[in-house]
Amino acid sequence: MDSTLQRAADLLAQARFPVFGGLFTDVNGATAALALAQKLGGVVDHAASEGTSRAARVMRETGSTPASFGEVRNRADTVVLIGDGPRERDADLLEKLFPAKNLPRPGDNKRELIVVGTKKGKTPAGIRTTEIDGKNPLPELVALLGAATREMPFEMRDAALGKKVLSAGQRLRESAFVVFVYDPAELEEPVMHTVLETVRYLVKTTRASTLAMSAPGNGDGVNLCSIWTCALPVRTSFAGEIPENNMWAFETERLLKSGEADALVWIDALDGAEAAPPTRAFRGVPSVVLSSKPVKAGRDDIVIEVGAAAADHDAALYLPPIAGIGVVKAKSAKSDKPTVADVLNKIGMLIDEKGAA
Amino acid sequence: MLIQLKGGRVIDPANNRDSVGDVYLENGRVVAAPEGREPDEVHDVSGKIVMAGAIDVHSHIAGTNVTLGRQLMPELPLIAASEGQPFGPSPAAWGSYATGIRYAEMGYTTVIEPAMIPTHAIQAHKEMAAIPIIDVAGLVVLGNDDYTLNLLRKGDVKSDELKDYVAWTLAHSKALGLKVINAGGSEAFKFNARTFDLDEQVPEYGVTSRGIVEAMQQVIADLGVPHPPHVHTNNLGIAGNVETAVATLKATGGHPIHLAHIQFYGYGKEGDKGFSSGAPQLMEAINKHKKATVDVGQVMFGQTITISGDVLRQFDGRRAANPKKWVINQAEGNGTGVVPYNYKKKSFVNALQWAIGLEIFLLAEDPWRVLFSTDHPNGALFTRYPEIFHLLMDRKERSRWFDALPEASRQVSGLAGISREITLSELAIMTRAAPAKLLGLTDRGHLAPGAIADVAVYTEQKNKTKMFAAADLVFKSGKLVVRKGTVVDVSWGRCYHVDPGFDRQIEKRVRSFYDTYYGADPSWFGVTETVPDRPDRFATIRCAS
Repeated sequence: MDSTLQRAADLLAQARFPVFGGLFTDVNGATAALALAQKLGGVVDHAASEGTSRAARVMRETGSTPASFGEVRNRADTVVLIGDGPRERDADLLEKLFPAKNLPRPGDNKRELIVVGTKKGKTPAGIRTTEIDGKNPLPELVALLGAATREMPFEMRDAALGKKVLSAGQRLRESAFVVFVYDPAELEEPVMHTVLETVRYLVKTTRASTLAMSAPGNGDGVNLCSIWTCALPVRTSFAGEIPENNMWAFETERLLKSGEADALVWIDALDGAEAAPPTRAFRGVPSVVLSSKPVKAGRDDIVIEVGAAAADHDAALYLPPIAGIGVVKAKSAKSDKPTVADVLNKIGMLIDEKGAA
Repeated sequence: MLIQLKGGRVIDPANNRDSVGDVYLENGRVVAAPEGREPDEVHDVSGKIVMAGAIDVHSHIAGTNVTLGRQLMPELPLIAASEGQPFGPSPAAWGSYATGIRYAEMGYTTVIEPAMIPTHAIQAHKEMAAIPIIDVAGLVVLGNDDYTLNLLRKGDVKSDELKDYVAWTLAHSKALGLKVINAGGSEAFKFNARTFDLDEQVPEYGVTSRGIVEAMQQVIADLGVPHPPHVHTNNLGIAGNVETAVATLKATGGHPIHLAHIQFYGYGKEGDKGFSSGAPQLMEAINKHKKATVDVGQVMFGQTITISGDVLRQFDGRRAANPKKWVINQAEGNGTGVVPYNYKKKSFVNALQWAIGLEIFLLAEDPWRVLFSTDHPNGALFTRYPEIFHLLMDRKERSRWFDALPEASRQVSGLAGISREITLSELAIMTRAAPAKLLGLTDRGHLAPGAIADVAVYTEQKNKTKMFAAADLVFKSGKLVVRKGTVVDVSWGRCYHVDPGFDRQIEKRVRSFYDTYYGADPSWFGVTETVPDRPDRFATIRCAS
């Protein structure tokens, strides 16, 4: 192991612009990756950061209005489910959001579900559900619902659908607590802005919020760690005097394809989740791969087997039910496999020693 | 290694010391002058001021709320730097690392994060563990959570369940004390309330804000937690709210209470603009209530961001967002509001807020009960502290600022009539000795033998901004970490917490509650020794009971 780590340190010490991709790891692993990227002037990205990067940009431009999972579950009288993404991310989502028992809830409305632009799917029994769907694309349906909520005029060929949209808009205005549920990976930024503006219209007289599905692979935990480290989410470069975030420029696949990145550290070490490697990864760009799964890497690449977070060792991860970082206990009582943090911290020390020598 | 700080003017009000002399450090502690031994290391500090390391009792440095603020406005440090308030030196800007470095450079060695969310305590501790040099602690937020409110529903708690629940929460989150933010107000906001006063009832639960605070005071007293309930009262930032603050003080009964960022409650509603200084009225009440302590929450002009668990207040404040973006996060217990704000010298209200804060400091009869804070970053970034010290210690500097304020603000402010200048000894009380005493961190804030060897050395100069912006030397636990205002050794501090006992039955009840209503297991957010990923990170402060 020591010689492998030394080879990895040698490879990275020579890199001009390394990218730390994948990042399917726990918070300790992310902390170590960020520290090494800062030391080397590299980039941090996450394999599922497309959606979180978009949401982060909307946040920086306008802000946000999130609700925790628990608040939605206990207090929302109207849940607006947007797109297919949420149920694809969690098949039991709606059952969780409409439990049999909840805390005191504002208003007298019966709980209701409005699904917008989704395929037919399982809905909770006994909950009145309105489906706003049809041939219209999802962004248009969200915009129509926003217009109906504001009582702004709009035209639709499908009169029946138009009536449903108007009725849904009225329900939103009369609700005590509306929550829009979506997956940032599915929605483009203008759609997120439309949802946010609808919420901000509603909160003038009542309660309203958003619930964004969390990214797979502890994407939200890694993002939070990046933010408390440097105030910016992933897809951030430490090459300049100050950290720079850019969701296009610092995307792993693009950096590899363009040849801008001259080294890759690929991390895929979470129990129950697998980061699909970038198409050109491990082919042509010198790579250090930290993985808890079997890896098909290039001949000269350095592969280091690590423990799977939450299986081989306890792991701090973003947990949707508490809308924050919690600790998941290891499944196996004892594992000798090193953690991502162990490996990256050791590589960092070897680089320091090499620099000092 | 025996270290001698030789010939400095030692300001140590906890021990009635203001004299030229030596301070000795060994094995991380202050020690008595050794007999017959030569020191291993001597620092000639003649002509300089020697104080204990400073302690910040209320500064938002970690946790969900702070990270939301960073997400919303990562550019804040850059704007602040352009206004002459550098946050650096780290290029990582508004990150945990820069926080510890900058605090240490100013001579601070202990900082308290005052709003740790119980379910997010792990994140807060992870963030705090990424802050170098300084020691830290968190105050955990209760009072708007459904478990507490359910226990208080009928107005009085018949069993010890609330006591056990508070003790469990303190232990589970490894907190040093309890924070109560707009008691009942955030819960009422969930039922669409837009204001909430001391004697209003929380919908569905019936309990009043007064009832919640009284219950928490009783519980903290029963548990023997050294730090009294740390309370953010109702009606923050509203004209006329001095009445609420005074009423809250009157309601405290026989138990100690700490009122946070009191400047934001020092507002009357006199005059043509319906906004006036309530500082004299407020200070009269504070001076009278001997068991009350406060920190000030001084405002400074410039760009900042307001971060608060008072989600009701922040919802109202969103209209004044500058730049025009804001976050309202609705969550278990308090939730969070994050609203950027630019305090402007030319604004009547902002100018008066600035003056009210200074009035509060200067009208304090007892500096042991009126502690220094800006409620970072709400009133101002902590990097502005040296400028505020200057204003408090130099009335000419104060006049220079005051004379540039709008005429209307000057006319209704009593600041110009106050000639008091805070002395070095009084400053050491407000920033060292008093916070240590209040928090139960008795091994710091002073320089008697046995104290932790946290020491700051400054060059005395007329320009107090320059004097306190960069300490000559800072020792953290006996180790030299700052020389000439620059960090020379990045060490890592400890995290302090209490561990009151409780009946283990409460764990079953809380687990059942979380399972039923949140589909969550409380063990997920319990802070264990390994969470900070730093050996020997935690230190326990004893409770009296």
